[in-house]
Amino acid sequence: MRHRIIASLGLVVGLVTVGVPLLAHHGTGVAYVRDKEVTLKGTVTEWFWANPHCGLLFDVTDEKGEVVHWGAELGNPHSLSEAGFSREVFKPGDKLTITGHPAKSGAPRLELLHLMLADGRVLPEKSVKGNGVHLDDPGQ
Amino acid sequence: MRNRFMLSVAVLLVLLSCSCVTFAQTYGTKGYSPGAWKPDELPKGLSNPNSFDPHNLSGVWSMPTKPGYFERHSLNDKPIKIAPNVPPQMGSEVYPPPMTPWAKAKFDAALVSYGPRSVPPGEGNDPVSTCEPMGYPRDLWEANLRPFEFVQTPDRVLQHMQYHDLWRTIWTDGRQLPKNPDPAWNGYSVGRWEGDTFVVESNGYDDRTWLDHFGNPHSDQMHLVERYKRVNIDTLELDMTLTDPKAYTAPWVGDKITFVQVKVAIFEEICAPSEENHFNEIIRDPAVSKAKP
Repeated sequence: MRHRIIASLGLVVGLVTVGVPLLAHHGTGVAYVRDKEVTLKGTVTEWFWANPHCGLLFDVTDEKGEVVHWGAELGNPHSLSEAGFSREVFKPGDKLTITGHPAKSGAPRLELLHLMLADGRVLPEKSVKGNGVHLDDPGQ
Repeated sequence: MRNRFMLSVAVLLVLLSCSCVTFAQTYGTKGYSPGAWKPDELPKGLSNPNSFDPHNLSGVWSMPTKPGYFERHSLNDKPIKIAPNVPPQMGSEVYPPPMTPWAKAKFDAALVSYGPRSVPPGEGNDPVSTCEPMGYPRDLWEANLRPFEFVQTPDRVLQHMQYHDLWRTIWTDGRQLPKNPDPAWNGYSVGRWEGDTFVVESNGYDDRTWLDHFGNPHSDQMHLVERYKRVNIDTLELDMTLTDPKAYTAPWVGDKITFVQVKVAIFEEICAPSEENHFNEIIRDPAVSKAKP
């Protein structure tokens, strides 16, 4: 019930609140600035689908016209596959709008919060725990 | 949401109508492996305990997800406030008994990725970050995200942890613990029933594993006693006591852990060095400026 109420306040708020369990792994908590968000428009160059965490590389053209090579950290394939991701969800060349917590070092890396595909679809689709258990499943 | 609920009701009705369960069968789950089988690809009437038998430990066990439940990462860790927006697995602290000088030296040498002593990734030396074995009981603390299951056979109980695909053999054929075992990553375990409590004793653990992600050490003298009790069909309780005179000057009594049955199957989650290295190379190391972005 609580998760439904949060989700109804706005997709971003809901995903920030319950998206965290997707990203729990060694080092994730310390590498990124958790009270900041950046949003970028980029083009996919690599999609890495593996345990225990997936990675997405994308190029962003800045206001000077220079290309910056960015990377995003995501959770494990099994929980992601419950939230609309798959091994084939991204191809090099795909255009995305990506929001996440930036790296503390200032390097072009972020911890993914959510992204929008060219067709308007937003991922992750729903709240899910690390092993694929749906947080809003009444049986849980 | 409504379709999932109706599917669950339909599965439950099928299960209730078929009295085909014994605990010698495969563990029961109504769930499926995300990324593998879809619900409609599963056999109808999956085995699932539909009557409560405290000597049946089958099921897939995880820590609860309900709000306010503190997901355990060691024997007795507690939530602490580090800073705003710090996720739960970072904001906790553990309280071991006093350490021996041997253990304190190991603890000080551990560069951890969690809790108040955490260092930036890439600067840590957590063995798990290079796919070294998790060992036990460290793998148990992953049960909030990565559950485990028991498989019971006539002379042993197998405990299968999802994270790192870790299996423990708990011998129930009456043997005692080995007297002078060669250290093993997952130790040596024996189990017996005391009434409705399954008591597991274990020893012979390789001291290269960490006890938890806070870097608390253990020696090869560690002796664990675990008491598992299935209190109802959906709930499994665990009380654990750790004795390790080479590392701690007193026994470490863990807080009771409550596991709940979850509706998804264990899936494969193996740490492959090639994949871990590639992730570090393209994402994690640049995030901490260890490599050119």
